[in-house]
Amino acid sequence: MVKRFSLTPYLFLTPALIAIAVFVLFPIGAVFYYSFTDYDIVTPPVWIGLENYLKLAQDPVFWKALSHSLVYLIVTPTLIVLSIALAIVINRNLRGIHVFRALYYIPAVSGTIAIGIAWRWLFDAQGGLINGVLVWLGVLQEPLQWLAEPAYTLPIAMLMTIWMGVGYYAMIFLAGLQNIPEELYDAALIDGATDLQKHWYVSVPGLRPQIVFVFVISSLAALKVFEEILVLTNRTGGILDSGVTMVFYLWRQAFRLSHAGYASAVAIALLILTLAFSVFNVRFLERGIEAD
Amino acid sequence: MEGTQAGKVRTRARRRKALQTVFWYAVLILISLVTVVPFLWIFLTSFKGPLDQVVSVPPQLIPRDPTFANYVRVWNQLPVGKFFLNSIFVAVCTVTLNVLVCSLAAYPLAKMRFRGRDAIFYLLLATIIVPVQLTYIPSFVLAVKVFKYYDTLRAAILPNLASAFNIFLLRQAFRGVPDDLIDAGRIDGASELRIWWNILLPVVRPSLATVAIFTFVTSWNDFFWPSLMLHTRERMTLPVGLMALQGMFTSDFRGIAAGVTMVVVPILIFFIVLQRQFIRGLTGAVKG
Repeated sequence: MVKRFSLTPYLFLTPALIAIAVFVLFPIGAVFYYSFTDYDIVTPPVWIGLENYLKLAQDPVFWKALSHSLVYLIVTPTLIVLSIALAIVINRNLRGIHVFRALYYIPAVSGTIAIGIAWRWLFDAQGGLINGVLVWLGVLQEPLQWLAEPAYTLPIAMLMTIWMGVGYYAMIFLAGLQNIPEELYDAALIDGATDLQKHWYVSVPGLRPQIVFVFVISSLAALKVFEEILVLTNRTGGILDSGVTMVFYLWRQAFRLSHAGYASAVAIALLILTLAFSVFNVRFLERGIEAD
Repeated sequence: MEGTQAGKVRTRARRRKALQTVFWYAVLILISLVTVVPFLWIFLTSFKGPLDQVVSVPPQLIPRDPTFANYVRVWNQLPVGKFFLNSIFVAVCTVTLNVLVCSLAAYPLAKMRFRGRDAIFYLLLATIIVPVQLTYIPSFVLAVKVFKYYDTLRAAILPNLASAFNIFLLRQAFRGVPDDLIDAGRIDGASELRIWWNILLPVVRPSLATVAIFTFVTSWNDFFWPSLMLHTRERMTLPVGLMALQGMFTSDFRGIAAGVTMVVVPILIFFIVLQRQFIRGLTGAVKG
């Protein structure tokens, strides 16, 4: 350990700190300032005090976006349950198990835009595979306009998020499962535990660090969901704004309508929401990642 | 008598084992249908000719009139090759710079004692929570007015120079390196920069590889920020170009399917080749 004062540590940190300052810290300050201004990016911002926030409070689309972002959090517990189940399924020594694991991981690396476009066609009213199969099986009388149905926009986007995430998170849980000592399972068997009980009393507590990690990461991602909505609704946000989330609203206000000041107020609301959600998570996040 | 009894029990046990194996394979195959079928459907559609049904009940999967025409059409109307080169350029530059900058920063945070270390570390940690989309409005203003790199590939690279998460992971890796190794270097009179380059980096190479792979995939699939910056077709990365393709080929499902296939197949090959590192990287992210 270097004990005497030296510049060295600061020099090592300088490039990273400059980058973080320019591309994270400065923008946070700037967006806070913009939120009190009328700003269209082209002409200089004009101070208007709290006007953006007052407008926000009365903007039904904003409240809709907020509620959609909160509803989106349902993907987090769903992902945790499905990923743990999948991890348990793939945690066995079968020939070719690596191939299956790779197949489950494919959606996680293919990119949201490519998958979103595929899903748009999957749910397409005319040529979609979903309609094709459902009509063929007689479940549907005629093709359904899945993506033109406000009630389905958000659920389809959430389904896509889950579909993309399960294989990824299952790998995290699989690694966790493989660290649980075999003796614990043997002890559970001796105590007469059924298969299900065995996993409930041994696997789930043993996966605690992974559960905390996945909980934090996937809920932060859920609060920021954007690309799924953009692709599935073809940049519209869905009929009657049925798919508009906080980040989508931010994007639309700032980069479609050039209301950068108003969008900044949306951004601050998003920041407050995220902070409120994470404050009690920060310590868990650290413990989860650092659990050596 | 007893021998055959035991034999029967053994055959029964073996039969049950076989049945279990069949059951688990059935489960595994069913699950893989859920992840693979959409890709397979897009892949097969991309080869469908004009005589093949795209809309039909029951759905037609296999092209009866297979053709490369869809690929040719997409390739001719959009600079897909350029999208690839741009994506590779952006991802390679991002990975190289990001890993260098982050591992430089991670060294003192892991192995040196100095004033403000904890403050800096927690400040970095806190930035992980801040939604990156929040920064895009000011970053857009910076790009247009200060850095003047709007609509250039640099704009897709520079904001990703450092990431708190990577600094965090590399700090964890450096902490695992024995102090004796570093002290030995110091006794030999090596500078801290040499110690970092010649001792620490080689020791944590597996961690560097996983950080690099993850940064590469993130950069490769990044859309929101590049879509704000890159507007000239020739300067688009793949995801941005793919969105443009969807806009151009609105109802040409065969063309869109060809475009999606062209984008997805390379990243899948990349993943399959580096599968082991991927999985280890994930484990590393949680376990440090």
